[in-house]
Amino acid sequence: MKYDVVIVGSGPAGSVTARFAAETGAKVLIVERRAEVGVPVLCGEGISQKVDHFKVLEGKRWIATKMNGAHIFSPNGTKITLSAEYAGNETGYVVYRDIFDQELARGAVQKGAEIMLNTCAIDLLKKDGKIKGIIAQHFDETIEIEANIVVGADGVESRIGKWAGIQTTLKPYDLETCVQYTLSNIDWDSPYCDFFIGKHIAPGGYLWVFPKGKDVANVGIGILASLSESGKAVKFLDKFIATRPELKKGEPLRVITGADPVAEPIQSVKDNLILVGDAARQVDPITGGGLMHAIEAGKYAGETIAKAVEKQRFDNQTLLEYETQWKNAFGKKLHRNYVAKEIMLDMEDKTLDMLADSLKDYKFEEFSTMSIIKALVTKHPSLLVKLTPLMKLARA
Amino acid sequence: MVKPKAIVKKEKCLACGGCISVCPRDAILMISSKAVVNKIQCNSCSICVKTCPIGAIDWEEK
Repeated sequence: MKYDVVIVGSGPAGSVTARFAAETGAKVLIVERRAEVGVPVLCGEGISQKVDHFKVLEGKRWIATKMNGAHIFSPNGTKITLSAEYAGNETGYVVYRDIFDQELARGAVQKGAEIMLNTCAIDLLKKDGKIKGIIAQHFDETIEIEANIVVGADGVESRIGKWAGIQTTLKPYDLETCVQYTLSNIDWDSPYCDFFIGKHIAPGGYLWVFPKGKDVANVGIGILASLSESGKAVKFLDKFIATRPELKKGEPLRVITGADPVAEPIQSVKDNLILVGDAARQVDPITGGGLMHAIEAGKYAGETIAKAVEKQRFDNQTLLEYETQWKNAFGKKLHRNYVAKEIMLDMEDKTLDMLADSLKDYKFEEFSTMSIIKALVTKHPSLLVKLTPLMKLARA
Repeated sequence: MVKPKAIVKKEKCLACGGCISVCPRDAILMISSKAVVNKIQCNSCSICVKTCPIGAIDWEEK
């Protein structure tokens, strides 16, 4: 079997890369270790409405709820509101990730990509020290798949990068460890996504309630692995649900665990190998959001691969265009929010309450971490000293 | 004294891959949608045990 590109992982990063590479005629294969694309879901299922601009999804079947805004609750319950009304109506969706992923994969197939399920990459195929494809376990068979380019879209626990010599092991302070219930029969009728912060609620992370239709919501928690103990995330989540009258009668339709990299951007190209999505740590360290970045980076990766195939050049220099594009588009934002994450981790609950109190009536014009940072600096010039590096990064 | 090694309780593991992403020894693999610790590689650092959000990784009984 010989392809122009073999992509490991059929999540959003893999499928979108495949779509844009296949569109220009490249011969593309996606391998997926599981028996179904998008299953099991490992996600809070929130995404910015910016996804619409990429035109990679048809219909509306993948949308569970259109959000009207977000609330952030400080440790003592002070509420900050980000409303669609003031944010130019562009907020976000809560999606059905299984359908979402399958729609993205279907889009890639429509453009000519092939998919192989039950196929787990077990090593890179190398000849004379050069990457020539992958070796994979397909059911009970070990197979070699030759390709000019290998793409690792293999998620947070990516091994493709490691095999190529890219350092991808995460430090515990760069990982949010997560658990989430999809709860039914709850008394939650708000089209807002709610975030709860504080050391006693979610140490080093946050707890979320994302509505997914009438009386159903994703209720989950992410805590920083360096502040975690065995089973701490689920204990904190259960405790929170038990104390909320509107949630405690809920019954779970689904329970999932998750791992979210909240790290600095890393090297994403090595010779003829590319990393995309969570594998490349393309996740916002403040929000833990990675879906939108995976799709944007997937587009750049696919387009770069298409050009490489056209020119028949599969070297580092040709593929580096992808890394330049994604780092220009959102790499700086990720770095800035990494610094913001570190500043926030240092804040006591009391400080967070005080800051929230000053923003409780604020009308945010944009749905972003940056708009909150800007508002904080306006309200608290004394914070400037701490936040100055962030403002510099924001302008960079 | 030999330190105990980490072991994944298969009945509990929900296959998020968090442990794999933080293991400094690259000692954990996903096999048939369950994390599995390679005992020879494990250096008993406890990072995976602490990271697991549902407590599915424990110390092997001697």
